[in-house]
Amino acid sequence: MQAPQGKRRLNISMTTKTKLEGLLFVLPGFLYTVAVLGYPLVYNFLLSLRNVDVRTFVRGTSTFVGLANFKALFSNPTFLLVLKNTFVFTFGSLVFQFTIGFALALLFAKRFKLAGPVRGLLLIAYMMPMSVTAMLGKNIFGVSGLINDLLLKVGLIQQPVEWLVNTSTAMIGVVAMNCWVGIPFNMLILTSGLTTIPDSLYDSAAVDGATGWQRFRYITLPLLRPAILAVLMLGFIYTFKAFDLMFVMTAGGPLNSTDVLGTYAYQLSFTKYQFSLGAATGMVLFCCLLVVGLFYLRLIAAEED
Amino acid sequence: MKRDILTLGVVLLVALCANLAAAAPVEVTLWHYFEHEADALEKVVADYNAMQDEIYIVPTFVSRDELMNQYTIGAISGQLPDIGMVDSPDMASYIALGVFEDITDYLKDWDDLQYFYEGPLSSCMDAEGRIYGLPNNSNCLALLCNMDMLRAAGYNEPPKTWDELLEVAAATTDASKGIYGFAMSAISNEEGTFQFIPWLYASGAKVSSIDSPEAVEALSFLTTLVDKGYMSKEVINWGQGDAYNAFIGGRAAMLESGTWQIATLDRDKVHESFEYQYALLPMGKQYASVIGGENFGITTACKAKDACVEFLKFMQSAKNNAQWCEIAGKLPVRRDAIDHAPFLSEDERYVVFTEGMNYAVARGPHPEWPIISEALYSALQAALIGAKTPQQAIKDAAAVINPILEVTPIGE
Repeated sequence: MQAPQGKRRLNISMTTKTKLEGLLFVLPGFLYTVAVLGYPLVYNFLLSLRNVDVRTFVRGTSTFVGLANFKALFSNPTFLLVLKNTFVFTFGSLVFQFTIGFALALLFAKRFKLAGPVRGLLLIAYMMPMSVTAMLGKNIFGVSGLINDLLLKVGLIQQPVEWLVNTSTAMIGVVAMNCWVGIPFNMLILTSGLTTIPDSLYDSAAVDGATGWQRFRYITLPLLRPAILAVLMLGFIYTFKAFDLMFVMTAGGPLNSTDVLGTYAYQLSFTKYQFSLGAATGMVLFCCLLVVGLFYLRLIAAEED
Repeated sequence: MKRDILTLGVVLLVALCANLAAAAPVEVTLWHYFEHEADALEKVVADYNAMQDEIYIVPTFVSRDELMNQYTIGAISGQLPDIGMVDSPDMASYIALGVFEDITDYLKDWDDLQYFYEGPLSSCMDAEGRIYGLPNNSNCLALLCNMDMLRAAGYNEPPKTWDELLEVAAATTDASKGIYGFAMSAISNEEGTFQFIPWLYASGAKVSSIDSPEAVEALSFLTTLVDKGYMSKEVINWGQGDAYNAFIGGRAAMLESGTWQIATLDRDKVHESFEYQYALLPMGKQYASVIGGENFGITTACKAKDACVEFLKFMQSAKNNAQWCEIAGKLPVRRDAIDHAPFLSEDERYVVFTEGMNYAVARGPHPEWPIISEALYSALQAALIGAKTPQQAIKDAAAVINPILEVTPIGE
């Protein structure tokens, strides 16, 4: 009777010890996160609940205003437009960069001659600094730019389109430039996903008489699911918090038509010194991404189960 | 005896060390965003570093946007340079944010202050008239004409009124070659506001009377230029540099141009490509222009306030201010600088700008100028691309500006 009890006690203390060790291993990362992420986040949150602007800043007369900043934002048509723009920009970019990136990944999985070098060339767009891409975009979508030149020559349009001047077309320009960067990124991740699928699966399916579409639908898609989820998730986050592209290419204009949460928060805080409104905009951005992040974690958990 | 010598030696050594410590100048940083003007700045800094040993000034270039961000962040964190440059309309905001030090007391015995022009100096003051810096240079806007194009269209003189401008713009526009009669900047930042202000004031309106038929008239005039095809719609994405490039590239016959562009016209040797001429911006109800320029202030984090103020005084002495302006292509900020600056009366281009200064208005000073400015350039953009009628655009701008001015009036 004695022996098993003693053994159990030993077991328990072992687990406690392991747990303690585990905590110690987690500690540096935890402290780092608190210092680098937690502090600014809490600071920003508290700032968003006060009324700090150029009038109240130095005099120190700012007061706690609760959710007044959020109410002000959500009753401001410009902010609602900016929020809408952010989602249009994100989903527009995701749809095109994912489908085209996926198609290219499948193409380059064929391992034809020169596939490697050509794929490498496509990656250049991904490696370029965003501000350079934005400057390119400014020229490509200019009235006498490359896009108009091509469309005129092909005969699709009779008059040059003022892409970045009209509020209705400017978003097309920034989405296109974002895809320019996003396509190689999607292609890269999906290609590495494709290489993990063993060729033998396709071979045996072919022997069983599966068509190309069936092989894609029942082998590629299910086995690529983790890579697809990851690329969509990362794509969403990178696109949703976009800033530099608009900042350089259109400055959020014309008339806020390409302003997104990132650029809008920047303008509020750094050009208009409405620090609390800027912080509140940042909180909205953060909450949107938090929801998406939690959704992703759930999906991953379901996957592992 | 031996001990005495030793003591003497120690005393001497200590004295020497103390002396060395006193002689080692304090290193102070100066932040600026001058580009082609940097030579002028480096010269005056080198001169000052050589002539005294209290401070050693290290000028650092920080791009304009980044500089603004750093001041805003510095207002909270206290990480600021010792001396900082700022665009004059932004100074009031930074004074309100506590970035710049009140140096009124350091300047009260400085006789030279009386020679400074009122407009630029007032941009360094708060509402109570306390001084937080010294203006460094001034500039304003004028009309720059490509005389080869004007003559080819049958005009030997730059236009003098709005009607004449419209006429000349119509005659010089050649849509088939992509040549526009007129170019300006209407970009969504301070530059757009800067270029719009002269038209607003020429119509008889003011920022404080933005809700007026005159303001609508000013905006309608510019909208007409775009609607008739005399000005590219793309001006809403053009900074002043982009508009300048269109002009020197022969894609625009006339340009709303700033004083500093005299220096770039010379650098680009534009006179070798075509003949150009400056004139006052055409008259609406009256002549008008806008004052631009940079100020230097001592920040609240400055390590050696006394010595840095002395540097500002040195930099802004009549002689140095004149020399600076000649190198950088700017106008002096003090009346007596003209005695040291023969180019101001000899160079016809500077003569035009010096005359233009008589009609030039300051932006603000107002701590919430950036918000007012956004309302102004947004109205300009909305009207130019046809998203709003000029009436509606001005009405919307007034809805933003007037409540702000009710709390803190603008000094006009």
